[in-house]
Amino acid sequence: MKIIICGAGQVGWHIARHLAGERNDVTIIDTNAELVRRATDALDVQGVTGFASHPDVLDRAGARDADLIIAATHSDEVNMVTCQVAHSVFQVPRKIARLRSSAYLDAIYSDLYRTDHLPIDVVISPEREVARAAIQRLSAPSTFDAETFLEGRLHLLGILLEPDSPVLNTPLRQLNDMFISLSAIVSGVRRGGKLFAPEPGDQLFEGDQVYVFTLAEDVPRTLEIFGKPMAKQESVVIIGAGNVGLAVAQALEARPERIRVKLIERSRARAEDAADALNRTIVLNGDGLSAELLEEAAVPRADAVLAITDDDKTNILAAVRAKQAGAKLAISLVNDPTLMSLMEPLDIDAFINPRASTVSTILRHIRHGRVRDIYSIGDAEAEVIEAQVLSTSPIAGRAVRDIEFPEGALMGAVRKGERVIKPTGDLRIEEGDIVVIFALTSDIPEVERLLQVSIDFF
Amino acid sequence: MKLLLRLPLIVLLGGIGALAMVLPGLYAHAQDSHKIGSIFLGAAGLFVLLAAILGIATAGTPEGPRARSVLLTMLGTMALLPAMLAVPFALALPDTGFFNAWWEMISCLTTTGASLYSPELLPAPLHLWRALVGWLGGLFMLVAAIALLAPLRVGGFEIMSSPYGRSERFERLPRSAEGPDALAPLTHPAFQTELADPAHRVMRAGRVVLPVYAGLTLLMWMLLLMLGETGLVALTRAMGTLSTSGISPVGGPAGQGSGIAGEVVIFLFLIPALSRRFWPGGGELRASESWAGDPELQMAAGVVLLVSVVLFARHFAGAIGVSPEGGMGVLGTLDSAASAAWGGIFNGLSYLTTTGWNSVEWQGARNWSGLSSPGLMLAGLAMMGGGVATTAGGVKLLRVYALARHSERELERIVHPSSVGGGGLMARRLRREGAYLAFIFFMLFASSIAVTVMLISLQRVEFDSATILSIAALTNTGPLAGAIPLTPTFQGSAGMAGAPWAGWAGLPGLTKAVLAGAMIVGRVETLAILALVSPEYWRR
Repeated sequence: MKIIICGAGQVGWHIARHLAGERNDVTIIDTNAELVRRATDALDVQGVTGFASHPDVLDRAGARDADLIIAATHSDEVNMVTCQVAHSVFQVPRKIARLRSSAYLDAIYSDLYRTDHLPIDVVISPEREVARAAIQRLSAPSTFDAETFLEGRLHLLGILLEPDSPVLNTPLRQLNDMFISLSAIVSGVRRGGKLFAPEPGDQLFEGDQVYVFTLAEDVPRTLEIFGKPMAKQESVVIIGAGNVGLAVAQALEARPERIRVKLIERSRARAEDAADALNRTIVLNGDGLSAELLEEAAVPRADAVLAITDDDKTNILAAVRAKQAGAKLAISLVNDPTLMSLMEPLDIDAFINPRASTVSTILRHIRHGRVRDIYSIGDAEAEVIEAQVLSTSPIAGRAVRDIEFPEGALMGAVRKGERVIKPTGDLRIEEGDIVVIFALTSDIPEVERLLQVSIDFF
Repeated sequence: MKLLLRLPLIVLLGGIGALAMVLPGLYAHAQDSHKIGSIFLGAAGLFVLLAAILGIATAGTPEGPRARSVLLTMLGTMALLPAMLAVPFALALPDTGFFNAWWEMISCLTTTGASLYSPELLPAPLHLWRALVGWLGGLFMLVAAIALLAPLRVGGFEIMSSPYGRSERFERLPRSAEGPDALAPLTHPAFQTELADPAHRVMRAGRVVLPVYAGLTLLMWMLLLMLGETGLVALTRAMGTLSTSGISPVGGPAGQGSGIAGEVVIFLFLIPALSRRFWPGGGELRASESWAGDPELQMAAGVVLLVSVVLFARHFAGAIGVSPEGGMGVLGTLDSAASAAWGGIFNGLSYLTTTGWNSVEWQGARNWSGLSSPGLMLAGLAMMGGGVATTAGGVKLLRVYALARHSERELERIVHPSSVGGGGLMARRLRREGAYLAFIFFMLFASSIAVTVMLISLQRVEFDSATILSIAALTNTGPLAGAIPLTPTFQGSAGMAGAPWAGWAGLPGLTKAVLAGAMIVGRVETLAILALVSPEYWRR
């Protein structure tokens, strides 16, 4: 399949990396020749330098026979025009645009993106994705990673095992027997920085980071059993009132339980905008790293601190500072995936990776059809794939114990009709079921072969 | 029309005032008091002629529109025009003297409505003339607010106008003194077209305001007539309500002819004095998009309810244990409670808009509350005043609101020193520059009260009387003097028809002059007069 990606920034780069890895013909367009050169050097993609919205540039990039165009430049308007040009001049069948400004995203104007108006098939808002991820992370405060699948009915929780966790030093098989009604499945364990899929006989040790699938209604119990009881959140401090911070604050204000939110922003103008948009939230103007301001925001008594400015280092430092001041939970937005390994030594509880959430949203839409959702874990160490089982798939009609899953893959849940079931050995997978599979990156091709999914299915 | 517009504004206004004399003249003839009728018609002819001569003399040298001339026109209208309007009044009441007639006309034109005379001793045409002058004064203020005061950013417009010299955002200083997008100020010669001329502006504003103003007056007159008020009383009530002058040809409460229903009508027509929203023009004063969110209306509703609730609840604090006799007693109590509540609400609004009508139930409300002088509360309301750029006087609700929001914000900042207040650009402007300017005005208002009280106290006037008279004059709420028991002074006289026991007529001449000055200062607003004193306005 021929794909054009406009903008070789972080999002464009990572989509290109994913798609090129899946043996697609990817062309990347950017005004910055240096970025394009780097992309063509490092990835198996072609590059074109120029304005993405100019028809001649798109023509050079091969828009005439392209199947998909992803407009992810930094400017909303360029992205819109690019999609319009791709539609009107080159009849590109599928167009995805990243739009940041929330004014373009209001649901009441969604009519705007009809084919005869502004032909954008999928609108992706990175800020919204990050805000959603932040809210999700706040709702499972004791985890370091959290994501939902199957329309929110299945949760993936990343839990760091503390010394007092009741599940330590017990083989996983026995855990299953001890808590029969519990739907939790340990799907991945990161020990000593290395992620692997556990065998039934494996034990969990102190300091392990485990990824656990559990049904939505079992989340509190699972957290309790793994030694991370749910904490009630009453006061939250957000550092950075950018689009993300503002969206998170608004979402928290809209919650029925009255959470006291304080928002810290360095730019006065931005702080004023935020204060105008919010009602109950107290907006503070100043540096999120200053100790006095953190004191004024009552960080020492805060249940959670979210550092979501646009600067990784500020976020990490602010989270460390908040944690040191006594905040119960510190979450930091980190763009650079290589910094994520610092989380543990710095005692930061969780991170949000905007790129991962945006990329996974875009990929989800590209692989629309049989693969319904993809979530990338860690620094692309593993993926969680939510997919529908096709009749042609080798797993259709077979019991779970008979399926030759590769070593690094594990089934998390199966949805049959409206029921979500924890997979057991004798559960039979049928055509039309939706399966959620955790797979290490090296085993993804094998899993995709099992699902008989290729990129053509959308 | 073109010729008229070349005349100085004050000559035009003089002409309008002279023409207005025709109405009481005709009314007097219809009432068979031909002497007064011919006085008014004669004066009308004389002054129309005079205005025409002055017009011919001044038409040739059109004066450039300068801030000074505009403010001087305002002052001249309030101080000199009454001298002309007083001529037929003085001739019709020969024993009162020209000075008293002038005072009476200043009181009417500034919509104060304080009267030197006993209502029943004054002939009906003179009552009509007083009400008409008050009505014209109210119209002039409504027009002048948007035509004369708004371009100068005084008279309440200073609160909402964007501050000079800086963008309303905190941001880095621009590299040069003149930013890349600096707009030329409105004083730039390019903006000085003929259309910006005060006379033009007044004409344009008058054309949009007059139909609404006259229409509402007519409607209210009809409603009061339907409710059984007699013709002249209904008309003067309508005029006195819309212009908030509170001039009436009869003493006593507002609803004595038409009952509670009439008071409800008056109450409804007092509401336009609470916000410029109800009048055309002055869109820059709108602090909110919706009516419900209008700060002035909210403030007014809150304050009026507060006063009536205090009056109402005071009863229970003072009268616990007093048990009325039997079931009839309870019914009677309920009845008097309801009337006390209405009395409080009506008087609250009436004094907040600086009109000064009393409700028929006001006496009931006073008795119910058990307070000896609840009138002091009304004085407080009158100082708070109505809406900015309306006919009401006082400090004005928007200023009070700005100060209230500012203090609320300051309290917040005690807890969170670096917090940022929300509410939007308007709210922020109100809290910062608005509150600052409102504070200046408030202080000026307070010091003008002090100065007036001092000047009055030079004569032998009781201190409490002096205070109430000063407040009544400065807030343009003449009837306030009647709502509070005063110690009257009997040092001066206003002739046979005078009513020295009401507080005003017995004052010595100098005190009257001081009070007349206070009325003008209250009407034109201290800030505008100070602007006139500033050397910037006199520089050529």
